Amino acid sequence: MKAFSYKMYFFLIPALVYQLIFGVYPLIYNLILSFKDVNLITYIGGTSQWIGLSNYVQILKDPVFKKAIFNTLIFTGLSLCFQFIVGFCLALLFNRTFPLKGLFQSLIMIPWVLPIMVSGSFFRWFFNDQGMANNILLSWGFIDKPIPWITSQILPILSITAANIWLGIPFTFILLYTGLRAIPLELFESAEIDGANWWQNILFITIPILKPVIITILTLGCILTVKAFDLIWIMTKGGPGDVSQLLTTLSYSLAFNKFHFGKSSSLLVIMVLLVISLTILFNSIKVEEESSIE
Amino acid sequence: MKWLLRTVFIVIMLLVIVFTGFAQKNVTITVQDYFDPAQSMGKFIEEKMVEFENNHPNVKINHTYIPYSQLLPTILQEAITKTVPEIIMVNNPNISQLIKAGVLKDLTGKVKEWGWENWEDYLKGYRDNGSYEDKIYAFQITGNNLALFYRKSLLDKAGIANPPKTWQELEEQCKKIKEVLNITPFAYDGEASDEGSFQFYSFLWSNGGSLLELDQPEAIEALQFLTDMFKKGYIPRDVLNITSQGDLTPWFVNGEVAFMINGCWEFGWHLTEDVMQKLGDVKVTSIPVPEKGMHSINAFGGECYGISSNIDPAKYDVAWEFLESLLSSDFNLRLNIASASLPTRASAVNEILTEMPILEPFLEQSKYALPMALMGGMENYGEISSILWVSIQKAFTGVATPEEVFKEAAQNIKGIFSPEDYEKYKQLARTLLQEASKK
Repeated sequence: MKAFSYKMYFFLIPALVYQLIFGVYPLIYNLILSFKDVNLITYIGGTSQWIGLSNYVQILKDPVFKKAIFNTLIFTGLSLCFQFIVGFCLALLFNRTFPLKGLFQSLIMIPWVLPIMVSGSFFRWFFNDQGMANNILLSWGFIDKPIPWITSQILPILSITAANIWLGIPFTFILLYTGLRAIPLELFESAEIDGANWWQNILFITIPILKPVIITILTLGCILTVKAFDLIWIMTKGGPGDVSQLLTTLSYSLAFNKFHFGKSSSLLVIMVLLVISLTILFNSIKVEEESSIE
Repeated sequence: MKWLLRTVFIVIMLLVIVFTGFAQKNVTITVQDYFDPAQSMGKFIEEKMVEFENNHPNVKINHTYIPYSQLLPTILQEAITKTVPEIIMVNNPNISQLIKAGVLKDLTGKVKEWGWENWEDYLKGYRDNGSYEDKIYAFQITGNNLALFYRKSLLDKAGIANPPKTWQELEEQCKKIKEVLNITPFAYDGEASDEGSFQFYSFLWSNGGSLLELDQPEAIEALQFLTDMFKKGYIPRDVLNITSQGDLTPWFVNGEVAFMINGCWEFGWHLTEDVMQKLGDVKVTSIPVPEKGMHSINAFGGECYGISSNIDPAKYDVAWEFLESLLSSDFNLRLNIASASLPTRASAVNEILTEMPILEPFLEQSKYALPMALMGGMENYGEISSILWVSIQKAFTGVATPEEVFKEAAQNIKGIFSPEDYEKYKQLARTLLQEASKK
């Protein structure tokens, strides 16, 4: 065993400094702001007052916040669910050999390669009343008048979720596909000899072996989805009205439309707590799984 | 040998330092605005910078372009870190906030030296907007307002002889155009941004409504009228998600709409001379009013320049000198011709009509145009505007009736102020509105 050396801490310094400046400092600063009455004038003038938990109380009472929480849960839940199902099916498909596999694999990665500005604008046009989705449905005779995908009371949140699912599929697919490739083929061969069918192979071999990968995907996917902002902002800006408001868009709106920086910070603190709780939840499942394997 | 190399190295370094020192300009001024250098206004401002540099060899002027939507957040970040550039552009509704936040320098002393008559040459609304408690902080260099654009050929096809003058006529003509031409006739910007609020003011103020009293019948009627137009299918639903008023123009150019509410800047942006010639039927008139005999009371937009309060005192005189060169009546005229905006100096107003007669309806309306921030609670205007655009979208999409959304909005707006401030700003808005109605 190697002797303990302080030298190894030396090599951690760059990462630590980076984390302190770009991770810890903004978090603490945001936390401080959340306890102060900060608006544009007091922020610039440095005259903001401590107001305790007032920002939190106000934000929790705000009906738009409740709407944003509900929308965020819908958006995150549906996104994770569909991204996982489609990504998993694609991973299973691409685990086989077929012509032009490489080409199709590259095509699947396109959503990930495109700048969000491009995909967001595309989906806004796609879901417009005069957009591609309605044009196709109208020309095929499925509908007789345009569906208000992003201009009604209920559909906007579902439309932005659909766009986000499309964006997130490559991420889920590539991780699951890599995991699948690592499963030894012998396991499936033995199962086949024992009479297992395709479905049983998936249920009793593939999924249990991929469980750590799945939990990682869900954890990362959850973090990425809860903090999604640009796609929604480009498509609907949280509107019309507040119907597609998520925690992120509401926070931006509070800060840069209404200049309630304190309230916006308290919302971000709540959001960080939400993400940390979900991450702990997923990690605890992972730890349980690892200890059961040991 | 080593000493020789060392000496040569030191001599070279000294020469580099000396020559770069000589080559460097003594004073560097940065001008920050949202005029894209690739477009006419940006090019025009940059030409002025080069001209100024040529006349002042020791001065270097940098141009920093920030996109419109990011200008205020950027100024805010700069203000907190005390790194606001020497000369900054501010969109006119945000002036009050930045004056109160101490971001802009009091220029009253410089204006006195420059000549008070120059300041008085600015039209009153623009003066009110750039000053606070008798101190001058910013100069509006371009002005604009909205009017009703229409395609004459489409109106002819629908059998309409003249454009609408009243709300009722507008609705009737939209109905006729929809029936005859099967298009959604009226492009009105209902987006979730200040531009969405900006479009509503002509309807609100012309009907005698106030931004600080949205629960009053005049305001509710204005929203009810537009909501009905939207629900009857006269306004395209996609207006809720456009990104700027400029997005309306492609529909107008393609003949997908017969009317649009848009600003004079369109003649320097999408409706350029060649496009206008090709279409051959684009006309402009005042925004329809609730009843005959009234005149349209519009909000004025435009851009202001001011000097940062954290400017290095050694740079102040040069920064002012450059700003002064942007403020001359002649430059005001040329700049506004280049951007198809309205001059803000009285001495330049009449001349622009000979150059651009199509701006006539805008200039006529500018007599009654009101400043948004003064009409909407000064430093709280930004928040109030955001309450307004959310309410309009809620009414359009049927989340609640115009009356319900405006009652809720009025309550929220009232809650922003102390009772004394609310009364003060409400009275200010009423006075300005009454003055504009009487003119």
